Amino acid sequence: MGNQSIFEIRDVSKRFGGVTALENVSFEIQPGKVHAIVGENGAGKSTLMKILAGILTEFDGHILLRGEAIQFTGPCDAEDRGVSIIHQELNLVHQLSVAANIYLGREEHGKFGWLRQQAMDKAAEALLRRLECQVRSTDIVGSLRVGDQQLVEIAKSLSLEADVLIMDEPTSSLTEVEVERLFRVMESLRAAGTTILYISHKMSEVFRLADTITVLRDGRHVRTLPRQETSPGEVTRLMVGRELKPFDAKTHEHVGDVLLSVRNLFLPWPGHAKPWRLHDISFELRRGEVLGIAGLMGAGRTELMECLFGAQPASLSGEIRLRGSRVSWSHPRDALQAGMAMVTEDRKNLGLFAQLNVGQNISLCHLREIARSGVLRPQLERQAVTSTMEQLRIKAPGPSAVIGQLSGGNQQKCIVGRWLLTKPQVLLLDDPTRGVDVGAKEEIYELIRTLCEQGLAILLTSSELPELIALCDRMLVLREGVVTAELVRADFTEEKIMAAATGVAE
Amino acid sequence: MGLARKDWGLLVAIGMVIGLALLADPQRTYWVNPQESAVDIVRQVTMLGLFAMGSALVIIAGGIDLSSGSVIAFSGTICATLMLVLAPEAMESPRDPQVSLAVMAAAIAGTIVVGFLVGSLHAWLITVVGLPPFVATLASLVGLRSLARAIIPQVTEAITGRASNQIQIFDSRFRYLANSVWIPFVVFVVLAIVLSFLLGRTVIGRHLYALGGNEEAARLSGIRTDRLKWLAYSISAMLSSVAGIFFIGEQSVADPQVLGMGYELNAIAAAVVGGCSLQGGVGTIPGTVLGCVFLRTVMDGIAKVIKRGADVYEGCIVGILVVLAVAMSQFRQTSGQRREMLPDALGWVMIPTLALLGGAISTFLIGPRWGLAVAAILASGLLGTKVRELAQARQS
Repeated sequence: MGNQSIFEIRDVSKRFGGVTALENVSFEIQPGKVHAIVGENGAGKSTLMKILAGILTEFDGHILLRGEAIQFTGPCDAEDRGVSIIHQELNLVHQLSVAANIYLGREEHGKFGWLRQQAMDKAAEALLRRLECQVRSTDIVGSLRVGDQQLVEIAKSLSLEADVLIMDEPTSSLTEVEVERLFRVMESLRAAGTTILYISHKMSEVFRLADTITVLRDGRHVRTLPRQETSPGEVTRLMVGRELKPFDAKTHEHVGDVLLSVRNLFLPWPGHAKPWRLHDISFELRRGEVLGIAGLMGAGRTELMECLFGAQPASLSGEIRLRGSRVSWSHPRDALQAGMAMVTEDRKNLGLFAQLNVGQNISLCHLREIARSGVLRPQLERQAVTSTMEQLRIKAPGPSAVIGQLSGGNQQKCIVGRWLLTKPQVLLLDDPTRGVDVGAKEEIYELIRTLCEQGLAILLTSSELPELIALCDRMLVLREGVVTAELVRADFTEEKIMAAATGVAE
Repeated sequence: MGLARKDWGLLVAIGMVIGLALLADPQRTYWVNPQESAVDIVRQVTMLGLFAMGSALVIIAGGIDLSSGSVIAFSGTICATLMLVLAPEAMESPRDPQVSLAVMAAAIAGTIVVGFLVGSLHAWLITVVGLPPFVATLASLVGLRSLARAIIPQVTEAITGRASNQIQIFDSRFRYLANSVWIPFVVFVVLAIVLSFLLGRTVIGRHLYALGGNEEAARLSGIRTDRLKWLAYSISAMLSSVAGIFFIGEQSVADPQVLGMGYELNAIAAAVVGGCSLQGGVGTIPGTVLGCVFLRTVMDGIAKVIKRGADVYEGCIVGILVVLAVAMSQFRQTSGQRREMLPDALGWVMIPTLALLGGAISTFLIGPRWGLAVAAILASGLLGTKVRELAQARQS
């Protein structure tokens, strides 16, 4: 080996509860290179980077830094050894100045703790100039654009003299000009000998910059390739090329009349590089049909669901029709009463009530129907809860159990049960199997099929393509708020969907 | 509904406090004069409980109401002002004041309506303007008392010709309203039952718990969270108004400068001691009532033991009990985890701080010799803890 690798990852595995995020991942990272890590949502990219940056300190396997086995005690320890990470969500104190953020926790000071503010301002200024960044070191970070905030983070890593820089999807919120500037910065950092680990799922960027590409899939290392020896098509195939689980992919033959139709839906995103979250979305959803919404993180899947459920505070334009009549919800309550239901993506923060027990979590949306002039009828509530628990096979000690003690899958079934009690006609399922164990996943798939046969119209998103392919009758692919493909079952292939989602020309 | 395990613990604690007070009181007041003592405690619990239930309701719904004390002062002022305006002659003559029942009823109804308006203002500031509940009700805390103090001189001058800072209430029937004890007590019990029913047995109650536990999830479940907040804040303010009416009857005067001063914190303390979580979504009305009973029996017990100037210690007692109640529920949540109580330099500073605090309180309550002893015991005990923690830290 002519060049000692800067990082060597050996048999690294990481589990979160019952979910395996990484399994026996091994590869090496050469110094002074731009090394791209690519993979679908949930492939384990971010988890691996968090391990390398010392944010996750508990894992199985070994990490060698410059040939030496290490065990970081935390991100500060990693920074001391020259490894620095720039998060997808920036970690800056918005109320402080640029210089104060760059030197946060490592302020230069004189005797008695006086800050050497001018020296820090000047040094910060120099770092920013190196990054072609025009902001001043005395500006307040909260007033900067996201692109500039990102450069402040990079300046912070430079001031640490990090020789390994981990960037987790840095271009996701940048304009094209800012992306160009970031790439120039990365090139000059590489020329100066910095190793850059670059996480992305945008093929065009990866192939422009990276020297080496590592593909992860389902928490496993698929392959590490030099850029010259591969092509975007091959990498896309490697990203998705897993065996389809044996779903019986039978078509739903009971598709009926149009229930929900959406025309030219536009959701603005003021003050952002791309001024929309959703742009010109149109589709129809029929009774007894599962329509999938595919797309990567940030493509607008959740926003679309929220628009349809009256949960988006921003004013949208376009037309939503339910059973032929035009609707405009001002509150999720309106949507609920019209026969819509939504299972949110973020179960813990937007779905569960930790202080309510299992039964109360299930019956919450059904209470008005079983109450007599506003007074609860415990008998009827208990009946509704127990029949839901039986029907969905929710494994819990009983209706009065603490919801937090249930497994993710059973928690999710409680929430689905909550909405089924409202007897919806349109069911919006936003990534319903996220953080759910395999057994419960199968049960949820089965449930989706049954509901469909009963004539519900289902809109489904998922970060797992095989899931969408197996369950959906039709699929819309979103990229940056725009529909880039509309596919029928016969056209479903992971390559096609990924190509539309990542913007690779086929 | 019934009582939760936490509530039984509180009940036992109340029994212990009464027992201790009986033992430590040289005159054995509770033994010699049980009826009078009981009436006294009932009166005090009633007057705290009325508005503490409102604070509890807001806390359960995930908010905070800092305005109760000022709303009491404001409502008392409004009630007295209304009576003065509607029946100036009767209010002015100390000899044989006869305010008609119709005037009284109108004043009381008007006051409760004003309470509703104050609560609605809070709800508007919070849900529409977007202020944090702390800020919205803090503004009322400062503003309403000041407004009440401005109203009285203006009104008294306009009606009697002499500006005054307070309105006297001579009418015996109005004063009987509060001094009978049983009338406020019945009102309190009825309201407590209604509110516990609302929280425990109705859709609105369940939705209030959901709102307090996870506001965004509640909204996404189709719950109109803004309306619920309106309900909670207006009930809270109306309960304070009812308390304000009774307070001016009890004191025979509406004096906004002192009426209800600092009561908002007693109310929040009673709710917290009674098991409400300031994070929202947790708490009951029976628990809050027991919290009130506990606070009042501790204060009453101390008054029986030290006889003179016990009201000075009210703040001390409330402070200590709130710290203990919340700390105990925190420890219960994290039980099993080992944690240092006196870490670092802060730990060293806490040894003399806690010893001095304990010593000072026992000196004033019992006597200097006891104070010295308590301080010495606390200091050596804490020092021992610190040494043990240092040793453990070295081991691991």
